[in-house]
Amino acid sequence: MFATLHLSDLLDAELPPIAAPDIEYSLIGPLFIITGAAVLGVIVEAFWPRGSRFIVQAGLAVVGIVAALADTIWVYTDLDTIEASLEARGQVAGEGALSVDGPGVFTWGILLVFGLLSMLLFAERRLEGGLSSFTGRAADAPGSAAEAEAVKLRVEHTEVFPLALFALVGMMLFATANDLLTMFVALEVLSLPLYLLCGLARRRRLLSQEAALKYFLLGAFSSVFFLYGIALAYGYAGSFELSAIDTAVSNRTGSENMLLAAVALIAVGLLFKIGAAPFHTWTPDVYQGAPTPVTAFMAAGTKAAAFVALLRVFYVAFGGSQWDWRPTIVAIAIITMFLGAVVSISQTDVKRMLAYSSIAHAGFLLVGFVGVYAGVAGSDRVTSVSSILFYLTVYGLSSIGAFAVVTLVRDSGGETTHLSKWAGLGKSSPLLAGSFAIFMLSFAGIPLTGGFIGKWGVFSAAYSGGFWWLVVIGVLISALAAYFYVRVIVLMFFTDPVGDGPTVAALSLLTTVVIVVAVVGTVGLGIIPGPVLDLAQHAGAFVR
Amino acid sequence: MLDLQWLLIAIPLASGALLLVWGKESDRFGHLIGTAASAASFVLGVVLFFKLLGQDAEERSHAVSLFTWIDTGTFHVEMSFVYDQLSALFVLLITGVGTLIHVYSIGYMEHDDRRRRFFAFLNIFIAAMLTLVLAGDYLVLFLGWEGVGLASYLLIGFWQHKPSAAAAAKKAFVVNRVGDIGMALAIMLMFAQFGTSAIGAVNAAAPGATDTVTTALGLLLLLGACGKSAQVPLQSWLLDAMEGPTPVSALIHAATMVTAGVYLVVRSNAIFDASEVARTAVIVVGLVTLLAGAWIGCAKDDIKKALAGSTMSQIGYMMLAAGLGPAGYAFAIFHLITHGFFKANMFLGAGSVMHGMNDDVEMRHYGGLRIAMPITFATFGLGYLAIIGVPPFAGFWSKDKIIEAAFGQNLWVGLGALLGAGVTAFYMTRLMILTFLSEKRWREDVHPHESPRVMTWPLIGLAALSAIGGILLLGDWIVDWLEPVVGHAEHEELAVPAIVLTLIITAVVALGVVAAVVFYRREPIAAETPADGSVSIFARAGRHELYGNELNDAVVVRPTRHLTRFLVWLDGMGIDGFVTGLADRLGDTSQLLRKPQTGYVRSYALTMFGGVAIVVLCLLAVTLA
Amino acid sequence: MILSILAATPIAGALILALLPRGAAAGQHLRAKVVALGVSLITLVLSLVVLAQYDTGDGGYQLTEEHTWIKAFGAHYSVGVNGIALTLVLLTTILVPIVILASFDDRLPDPLGTNAYFAWMLAVEGLAIGAFAATDAFLFYVLFEATLIPLYFLIGTFGGPNRSYAAVKFLIYNLVGGLLMLAAIVGLYVVSSRQGDASYLLTDLQDLDYSQTTERLLFLGFMAAFAIKAPLWPLHTWLPDAAKEATPGTSVLMVSVVDKIGTFGMITWCINLFPEAADWASPVIIVLAVVSIVYGALLAIGQDDIRRLIAFTSVSHFGFIILGIFAFTSTSMAGSTLYMFNHGLSTAALFIVTGIMISRRGSARIADFGGVQKIAPILSGVLLIAGLSSLSLPGLAPFVSEFLVLAGTFTVSIPAAAVATLGIVLAALYILIMYQRTMTGPLAEGAAGVTELRPREIAALTPAIMLIIGLGFFPQPVLNAINPAIDTVVSHIGKGDPAPKTPTSIDAPAGQEGGH
Repeated sequence: MFATLHLSDLLDAELPPIAAPDIEYSLIGPLFIITGAAVLGVIVEAFWPRGSRFIVQAGLAVVGIVAALADTIWVYTDLDTIEASLEARGQVAGEGALSVDGPGVFTWGILLVFGLLSMLLFAERRLEGGLSSFTGRAADAPGSAAEAEAVKLRVEHTEVFPLALFALVGMMLFATANDLLTMFVALEVLSLPLYLLCGLARRRRLLSQEAALKYFLLGAFSSVFFLYGIALAYGYAGSFELSAIDTAVSNRTGSENMLLAAVALIAVGLLFKIGAAPFHTWTPDVYQGAPTPVTAFMAAGTKAAAFVALLRVFYVAFGGSQWDWRPTIVAIAIITMFLGAVVSISQTDVKRMLAYSSIAHAGFLLVGFVGVYAGVAGSDRVTSVSSILFYLTVYGLSSIGAFAVVTLVRDSGGETTHLSKWAGLGKSSPLLAGSFAIFMLSFAGIPLTGGFIGKWGVFSAAYSGGFWWLVVIGVLISALAAYFYVRVIVLMFFTDPVGDGPTVAALSLLTTVVIVVAVVGTVGLGIIPGPVLDLAQHAGAFVR
Repeated sequence: MLDLQWLLIAIPLASGALLLVWGKESDRFGHLIGTAASAASFVLGVVLFFKLLGQDAEERSHAVSLFTWIDTGTFHVEMSFVYDQLSALFVLLITGVGTLIHVYSIGYMEHDDRRRRFFAFLNIFIAAMLTLVLAGDYLVLFLGWEGVGLASYLLIGFWQHKPSAAAAAKKAFVVNRVGDIGMALAIMLMFAQFGTSAIGAVNAAAPGATDTVTTALGLLLLLGACGKSAQVPLQSWLLDAMEGPTPVSALIHAATMVTAGVYLVVRSNAIFDASEVARTAVIVVGLVTLLAGAWIGCAKDDIKKALAGSTMSQIGYMMLAAGLGPAGYAFAIFHLITHGFFKANMFLGAGSVMHGMNDDVEMRHYGGLRIAMPITFATFGLGYLAIIGVPPFAGFWSKDKIIEAAFGQNLWVGLGALLGAGVTAFYMTRLMILTFLSEKRWREDVHPHESPRVMTWPLIGLAALSAIGGILLLGDWIVDWLEPVVGHAEHEELAVPAIVLTLIITAVVALGVVAAVVFYRREPIAAETPADGSVSIFARAGRHELYGNELNDAVVVRPTRHLTRFLVWLDGMGIDGFVTGLADRLGDTSQLLRKPQTGYVRSYALTMFGGVAIVVLCLLAVTLA
Repeated sequence: MILSILAATPIAGALILALLPRGAAAGQHLRAKVVALGVSLITLVLSLVVLAQYDTGDGGYQLTEEHTWIKAFGAHYSVGVNGIALTLVLLTTILVPIVILASFDDRLPDPLGTNAYFAWMLAVEGLAIGAFAATDAFLFYVLFEATLIPLYFLIGTFGGPNRSYAAVKFLIYNLVGGLLMLAAIVGLYVVSSRQGDASYLLTDLQDLDYSQTTERLLFLGFMAAFAIKAPLWPLHTWLPDAAKEATPGTSVLMVSVVDKIGTFGMITWCINLFPEAADWASPVIIVLAVVSIVYGALLAIGQDDIRRLIAFTSVSHFGFIILGIFAFTSTSMAGSTLYMFNHGLSTAALFIVTGIMISRRGSARIADFGGVQKIAPILSGVLLIAGLSSLSLPGLAPFVSEFLVLAGTFTVSIPAAAVATLGIVLAALYILIMYQRTMTGPLAEGAAGVTELRPREIAALTPAIMLIIGLGFFPQPVLNAINPAIDTVVSHIGKGDPAPKTPTSIDAPAGQEGGH
């Protein structure tokens, strides 16, 4: 038979045509803008003279983000409404790869805001005597002669801006990915640049590099689980699309155990990103080691993106089996809250403390998440989604602000993150300490700060979802958490400085702007949360 | 006209307040203002009294309400006053004796740089006492009740630099507060029962109430009365109260305030009439106190404390009488008034003596003062004759009637009262002998002298009253006078004719006198108090006030102190310790939980892996379950 | 509108003070003090305007104002006062000027802190007024919790050596309660949004119907916060520490004003919203209240630090207030409300006058005083009057309220009333022992520095003393405002006063002699 096989047969064979995908460019403009800015940044990196490159890169990043933000607002305003059982806005785009819907676009918005603020911190050069907080040449061994020379030459890694932009676009993609594969790609796109950025600290470089490595290894580790989970999900549903998986789950086709395994492993991948126990272990080390601007960016951005992704996967794809996974998530939420709150009490380093606080907050967010409360058609009751979106907004603002303050409290060795050095800050520079206190109070959920409204929101979502006892546990743990936020205030205001107290670097414009914005946002969202809250409410449900 | 009764209170109150806020410049004449105020209210009292006399028996009760004091929910109290036969007598007693004592104090306190304040306090006392007796509502009465308590506190502790005085003042107040529990609860009970605490309404409704209620009310009121009138078991404060300046002892702790308990019982006659038990309790308290007081009076060498014991005892008589019901109310009041005369008289006399003896109160340092201070001796003597009940002096009439009524009630009660009369005669004679009659035992550099006129005139006045106070009984006047208030008493026949009983009483009194004379005239009197060991057990018990303080100490004070200490410990270690302990545990947990944060990626990865396993298992478990 | 202005004025004053340049120069200090005093006096005047516009005959809420605040939550900016709220607003506006005037000479650990010190005080005033006037549960909660912040800084920044411990303890204790209340607040939202549009308005919440369990849980959530704030045994241990470390002015604001929000909340929120649950819990609460009365008094007797002593007397007094509230008779509840006012006055006088003694002696230990009466008669007189008011001597304001509480309680529970009455003896002990040890006897060495009151101090104390005496004889003006409001509450929760068992012709002219 082989002899009869001729090449010509193959040539004659009909090949099916490849249809060009139709992409709703207008909808996903923001993604393109950021990507474009990032790519442009790479080119600039290659050709622009070193002298003014930093300025150009920074400017490029800022401009790009602002443009994207504008576009996002435009997109958000004319998302077309879907009259489903529940109010939803937006549509599936990019051949089902993306779902550009209310929550997703809202997340774009806050991500871009966080990105913008972080870029300002990135661009801050007044604190290190004209140099950014990133190392000049990452290749040099810490403390080597080469490094000293690099400092002398004032060489700088201006790639940080494009890298950050790539991470940013990854986050945005992550929040709107409508199939698991896209989601995985997005995950990697957002993670890899962050791994790099973590290792670029100018001071304490060994710590920084170690942090980067840990983050990378563990991130890879978690990605594997995530990927395997995706595979199992595909095996179960025969599709990567969330909606398809949803139908499969609702019809209970395929093996139950396979589904559960898929749920579990995908959950692990996402819980790792939001830093929920027991997948939180990387958080303290990375937060501490990374350059503070990067930490701020991560703390605010990654958490937001990852949490929206989590919501999307579990509400859209696995919503049908929520009775299976809710108990487990409840347990994780409790553990996360408790662990974050309790361990932070014994922390002596501001950045580690903030890391644990971020873990605790992941726990509080999970409380809202397990409520799985989608509201009632026709009523504008606070839903799990809207409450979490609001929480993420406030939390992101507060933590960027807090880390911005951290960058300012310095001594000869750079930032002094040891708490004992913060004693008496309230006397030497009341305004700075005051704003930090405001962030702390917001984290603690004291009324008249956004944190309080956020807590109220997630708790009410959980309560509406039938978890009143979880709410009680939640409030009790918030009392624990309050304990250490309060301790910081005691330290700053009620304690006398030890030796020569902390020296606060002269406030420079960029950082000041960031802090002011954060303070205004935190307090404003506490007193008149209405507008932002309505935006979040307006986002409606996910589009499948 | 009779509606002006509130002025009786307002005048001294205003003057008292004025003296308190007016600065030093009023030191020169402050005492005159005070005295004038008291006198003014006395004059008004007299005028009102005659006004009252002018009316027929039925219209002799005049109620006036100044304003609504408290009105909320079902609780309504008027700031109301009643001027009737009973309160009228008290007004005269309080303002009359009060004024005399004001006058006396001008001299007595002459050298005290805080004299103005002393008079302010006296005025406030007068006002409060008048509020007490004029009150038309038990809550208003309670206002006066506590007011006199406050005045007594301020005046007992007037010499605050003396720790003993301050302690005595506090003790008096606190012990009275124990009695106030009774008063307060009684008033609450009235509200729960009758929905009002207006004295008239309550007394009108009392007969309709159940036995339990009236008994409870009676006993609670009695508790209050015991506190104010230093009746057993709340007697302990009175003897300490002698720390106060002597005029205070005379006015507050002899003539007026301490008799408030008796007034309360008489005023609440309807309640007590309705409860056999309560009446009996009153009789028992009275009897016990009259004997205990007399006993103490026999043993004390401190002239004021001896008199204080006597006061206890005499008030015991009044209580006893009040406990006898309608048969005794009138006589209780009668004795109260006569006692007010002669006891005030004797206290002021004692003050005059101390004035002459450099404020020494030790009778064993006296002796033979009849020559040194004739007027004091004469006036004191009249008081003496009055108190032991020598006809025709005031005390004779009142006490005789009480003992008679007591026999009418019950033989044993009668015998107790009779015994009391004898003992009274004994200790008063002893007091007279030690102070005035026996040979002088003065310390050196003591030059007894008669007191100035400003002090002796009041003595004379009171002595006269002590002598002729009995006339109130003329033709049973006081009985008829009070009848509309306290009800009619059908006179029960005694086994023996009244005159016989009177003779017996007089005989017993004579016996007491003779005993004292024999006892203290035989051998010379020691100038020092004999040691406890050398005297009879009775004398020793008497000196220690029958161990009342020791008893309180053991039963109340020390247990409370221990309880307090324990609770302080509990609060710190137990309750607060628990909370702070929680915080510490939290810290430990925190340290424990950060252990896994080793910094090694491998261990982190392991943790994650473990986590994964658990999550998977949980999910499976949930579905299988 | 007027209420908003009333609450906003002190806040504005606080901001002005915060913006004033800080400096160690005496002039700057004086300016701060004068500004603070001025603002507080303006507030006082405004509150009198409120009083003038208020119709005491009506038991409902008046001078109301309502705007939607957070639509999604159903939260409104809604204020209004009834007799109860008005009484406490007036208490606040009366006390704050007194406190500020009395705090002029407070020695602050940080000389630069003067502006902040008085700014925080005004902030407390504004927030407290807001909390009393709030008629929206969410608004109330926010302001109730917000009062913690200024007090926290007042204690922690300007207190004694152990201040930060006391401040943290104060804050955490109250936060625990507050957060439990937050859970209940959230629950209210859920319940109300299930029964139509979510709303936190008091009027809407009152007509919600709950399942028995829900109602009890929500009640407990609210009660936890108020019982810690009030403070009810055994949740009281934060108070003595806070009072010991705080300056006298802070203590007054804390005990006399802010803690009243707790007892105020029990009437206005707990009982109004959850009548059945309140009824269900009342036996336990009554027992705890009685325990507080006796326990607080006994511990007061056992203290050797004057400020802790006063703190424990307050524990005892709050016991009376709570007892009266949960006896559910109009008499006792009106008594409790009046008690809040009177206790505010007498405790303020006590804290201020003892504060003066302490700052002059440099010690708060009772044993370090003695015989002061001789060198400072006016001071000792004021202390005595304040003390006598604290032991509720008839003729002084607290007596009326205490007796109303007792009499009202007696009609529903004789044992509770009887045990509580023991308090009057213990009160006599703790006050008179303190007075005896500090004021009488020979002048203790070292106490010679405790000089007579200065004119400014007299000026600060006189109003309080006058009110204490005046209200002892004429409490009716206040009661007239309180009664209608209390009647509304009592009828809303379907309670009432038991009728007298042996009724008598009450309309018989008072004092008509009975006899027979």
